[in-house]
Amino acid sequence: MTAAASLTLAGVHGFAWLRKRRQMASLMFCIMAVATAAMAGCELWTMQQTDMEAYAQALQWYNLMRWIVTLALVGFIHFYLGSGRPWLEWTVCGLRTLSLLVNFVFSPMVYYTSIEELVRIRFLGTEVTIVEGIPSPLSIIGQLSLLVLAAYLVDATWRSAQRGDRPGAIRVGLSAVFFVLALSIQMMFALWGFIDMPIVASLFFAGILVVMGIELSEDMLRSAKLAEDLKIRERELLGERKLTDAIFESAPGMLYLQSAEGSMVRWNSQHERVTGYSNTETSQMRAEDFCVEAEKEILKEARTIALAQGGHDVEFDLARRDGRTSRHFFRMVPVEVAGEPHLVGIGIDVSSQRELAAETERQRERMAQIARVASVSELSSSLAHEINQPLAIILSNAQAAQRLMAHENPDLNELREILEDIVSADIRAADVIKRLRSILRQGKPALETVSPHALFDQALSMVQPELKSASVQVSRRHSKKLPLIQADRIPIEQVLLNLIKNACEAMEQNGSREKTLSLTCVNEGAWLRFSVRDNGHGMGEDGDKIFEAFHTTKPKGLGLGLTICQTIIRAHGGNLWSEKNKSHGATFHFQLPIVPENL
Amino acid sequence: MKHSETVFLVDDEPALLKALGRLLKAEGFAVQAFDSAMKFLSAPHNDGAGCVLLDQSMPTMSGMELQQRLLEEDSALAVVFITGNGDIPMSVRAIKAGAVDFLTKPVKDNELLAVIRTALEKSRIMLSARAEITEWKRRHAELSAREKEVLLYVVKGLPNKNIATTLGVVEQTIKVHRGRVMSKMGVDSLAQLVLVAERLQLK
Repeated sequence: MTAAASLTLAGVHGFAWLRKRRQMASLMFCIMAVATAAMAGCELWTMQQTDMEAYAQALQWYNLMRWIVTLALVGFIHFYLGSGRPWLEWTVCGLRTLSLLVNFVFSPMVYYTSIEELVRIRFLGTEVTIVEGIPSPLSIIGQLSLLVLAAYLVDATWRSAQRGDRPGAIRVGLSAVFFVLALSIQMMFALWGFIDMPIVASLFFAGILVVMGIELSEDMLRSAKLAEDLKIRERELLGERKLTDAIFESAPGMLYLQSAEGSMVRWNSQHERVTGYSNTETSQMRAEDFCVEAEKEILKEARTIALAQGGHDVEFDLARRDGRTSRHFFRMVPVEVAGEPHLVGIGIDVSSQRELAAETERQRERMAQIARVASVSELSSSLAHEINQPLAIILSNAQAAQRLMAHENPDLNELREILEDIVSADIRAADVIKRLRSILRQGKPALETVSPHALFDQALSMVQPELKSASVQVSRRHSKKLPLIQADRIPIEQVLLNLIKNACEAMEQNGSREKTLSLTCVNEGAWLRFSVRDNGHGMGEDGDKIFEAFHTTKPKGLGLGLTICQTIIRAHGGNLWSEKNKSHGATFHFQLPIVPENL
Repeated sequence: MKHSETVFLVDDEPALLKALGRLLKAEGFAVQAFDSAMKFLSAPHNDGAGCVLLDQSMPTMSGMELQQRLLEEDSALAVVFITGNGDIPMSVRAIKAGAVDFLTKPVKDNELLAVIRTALEKSRIMLSARAEITEWKRRHAELSAREKEVLLYVVKGLPNKNIATTLGVVEQTIKVHRGRVMSKMGVDSLAQLVLVAERLQLK
């Protein structure tokens, strides 16, 4: 029964050892279990012997098994608890080996000097054989080895407990101590004949085996659980890693982790794309290497502040691998990675925003300038007043003087004052003209690439409410493929706007005739021709005078609108002209040159 | 050539006031110049015939507003506008409100003087018409209640007989009343009486 139980345990742990070669404790356990089974067999064998010779032989085999069991037990404790003193281990093994040698050398056996008789006694309901003889003094070696083994076990258990090992390990040690001491006592009693019973050491060793087996199994279960936990944790970590990877990649800009000194630890692919440095290059670079020379100190300072104050923002020109720079906004937040202070942060390209702001500002300035020109028509009445006022003063003064001269004794002082007033009024008129010219002054056009459609769209959008309220039908016809042109967009839009407004005014008196505004843009090869056609009252006989400054057919007009348009178109190297329609109204055309590369 | 009427100049441009003043004075007009509408309004200006040469565009009070104030004052001054930037709708509004003309700067002397003369003539007519009306109002006030009643029926064209029936008296009485109305109002004919009643807006 003991043998069967031992063999089962041996099988289980032998298998465990085969699976995990490094678990020497399992191997030792296995050996000890097999040997204990064999020992039990030997014990049974001796008990059934009636012949002295055979008994001695069985006992020798039994002793061999004991030797193996003892060594395996020491080995097991050595590997399992790992706390035994080596010299005790060697002492136990040495004594046991010596006992074995003595056993084989001094036949018939180590326990007795002479065996007097074999006695059959009843033990546990069965008839068994025991020996009656004079115990050998040499058998003390076996007893000694047991005691040293017990001492070794006590010491190892004690040290294990001292070290704070888990209770399972200590349980194994204590049970081993208990069974070994019990065995020693039983051995002594049996050997010295105090009690009549066979030596049943295997039972005690089996006891140790059971406790050890339970603990080992628990250990195995525990380690299996640990392995499972580890796997889950690994999966979680992998998930975390994937998540942070995804976060890194999903960032709208560069995301990076750097050490407190600035060496790059981790970064996303955006970082590689923006800077142009490969991952290998980046891994050997420091954060300052991505910053233009002039701003390196700013970055270093920002890093110090971020580490000290729990985060900081900084903006600098990022130096790319290809030598270009782009304005970037960086936010850095301190984080502890592997016990070391690090900075995690994001970098966003703000160069387009900065450019946009600058562009908006430029646009605004130009709009202000254009607004001055555009408001000329609205200002025309007050300008007319400004010009007419000094002219009225000059005329009235001059005519008053003429009349005074007709008197018999003209007042010369009065005449002198009149002349002075005429001069100052004249200067004033000249000033008004000068001011007007400065308002109208246009520099060289700032050319940009524009779409002809966009020009029409923009101009139309500005007069849409008027077109609607005057119920003007707008038709647009364009060449199928219109090239982009180089033009100063806003002035050209103003020209279109002016022509459209003129056309609408010309159609105000159309009455029942539907007001039709036709806008066309035709690709003429070297030129792009824009036309604005109306079916209004058309031009009078003085049609060729319309482009002259201060010529107007409108009661409120100053006669400058078309002159300004002409100036703008000519500044673009183009031409503006008009023609009378065959039926009703007039058409205004202007041409803008198409730049060859845009053909 | 001397004129008894005053030409009032109102313009926010002192140099022009001076020039126009010189021109008009050289022609013998009595001229008073003001550089704002408010200054003109606070000075005495309704004593006799005269005209106002007004700049349309002035700060604080425009020429048009000043014209309106003169109409409210029932002034006999004729209004002439002179402007540097007038448009057609503006001039139409001014003429409808009784302006004599709407001149554009710069204005030639002959044109200006002709308009001023027309304006003064208009003012004189207005003044005398106003004097006549005042006289007729006085006379009308002297009529008895019955006479005023009869006058209304007469100008409506009712025969004496019908008036008598309406008022419940004999025809002869009406005839007496009618004769007295004619002599008290100082008119010789029915036509004249109708005209006066029209001017006095009797109803």
